[in-house]
Amino acid sequence: MNRAIRKKQLIGYLVMGCLVSWLIGNTIMAQTPSSTASSSPTIEVDKDIQQLKDKVANKVSEIRKENNKAVSGFITNIEGSLIKLSNNGEINQVKIDDTLTKFFKVLGISKKEIKNSDLSKDDYAIVSGVVTDNIITANVVLIDENFLVDSGKITEINKDNYSIKVLTSDKNTYDLDIETSTKRYMINIKTLAKETIGFSKLKEGDTVHFVIKKTGNPPAGGKNNNYPAYKILVIPQEYFIK
Amino acid sequence: MKKETIIAIILGLFFGGVVAIFISLKSKDIELSKNKVIAPPKENIVSPNLTSAEMQPLDLTEPANNAIFDKDIIRFKGTAVKDSLIIIQSPMKDVVVKNTKGKFDIEFPLALGENSIKMVIYPKEKQFRPQEKSIKIYYIDSEL
Repeated sequence: MNRAIRKKQLIGYLVMGCLVSWLIGNTIMAQTPSSTASSSPTIEVDKDIQQLKDKVANKVSEIRKENNKAVSGFITNIEGSLIKLSNNGEINQVKIDDTLTKFFKVLGISKKEIKNSDLSKDDYAIVSGVVTDNIITANVVLIDENFLVDSGKITEINKDNYSIKVLTSDKNTYDLDIETSTKRYMINIKTLAKETIGFSKLKEGDTVHFVIKKTGNPPAGGKNNNYPAYKILVIPQEYFIK
Repeated sequence: MKKETIIAIILGLFFGGVVAIFISLKSKDIELSKNKVIAPPKENIVSPNLTSAEMQPLDLTEPANNAIFDKDIIRFKGTAVKDSLIIIQSPMKDVVVKNTKGKFDIEFPLALGENSIKMVIYPKEKQFRPQEKSIKIYYIDSEL
């Protein structure tokens, strides 16, 4: 009898032990989500750090933009990592950083990466970089052509050599060669549309807007202000009479 | 003195005064009509708001000279004389527009690197000189 009771007691303890271990297991399992919940403050801190990082990055970018400057001119001197640029009497010093500065040659609408050693005297360089102590540390150096854009009145037409003399508002006289490659446009006084024209359409007294290329410093092709015209846009005098 | 004499004197003074006033008014009219010839005809009088001192100057608010852009299309914004002809020229593009509203906002493309641009305003009233602005702006691709 006692044995039977003992057996029942043992089975009872066993069942209770199973129940207790099951309950403990469940409690541990239930604690896992709570541990996830406890990580939420960490995420918030991470977000704050990220926001702070972004703010700092934006501020740095703003300051860099403020100090960022672009200058241009003909290369007059290359000495080690220092380049001197001259543009209409204005001199700028440019510092080349071997690890940072990139060099490109502009070819119309595309560009080609070049080396520092490809730069030479009289090249027209456009430099973008950060200014410190009047020296620009170049981020980018672009080698391009130097254009001059101006306007004035046609004072003389030379039909023998296809050239025109233009007097600008600041009293400069330009002798422009109208070549076959020159883009020639005239404004239609009624529609204001641009129309392609021939040399014969040009008249003394017409207003002309023109673009010329300047090369070298001083411009090699600019003897007596004589340049081949890259582009002309004519406003016929009739526009001002109507 | 007889009564009739006094009446005649008074009447004489009265009529004399009337004639004097009439002559003086008439001479003023003649003088004014003569002055009219000297004065310019009404249609030739320049409206005070068209004098060069008061003509609206070209105000280019955007873009600033020597500005650097990292995109190849920008906008020219500002104010100029109403009904003027605006010409914006660069080696890359020529834009011709009539400034009908006085305020302008014109899209303009940029070439990589330096962009020398000249803007000229030709006022509708031909007696006024064109207004000009030359600027240099830079397009530096952010990927460079």
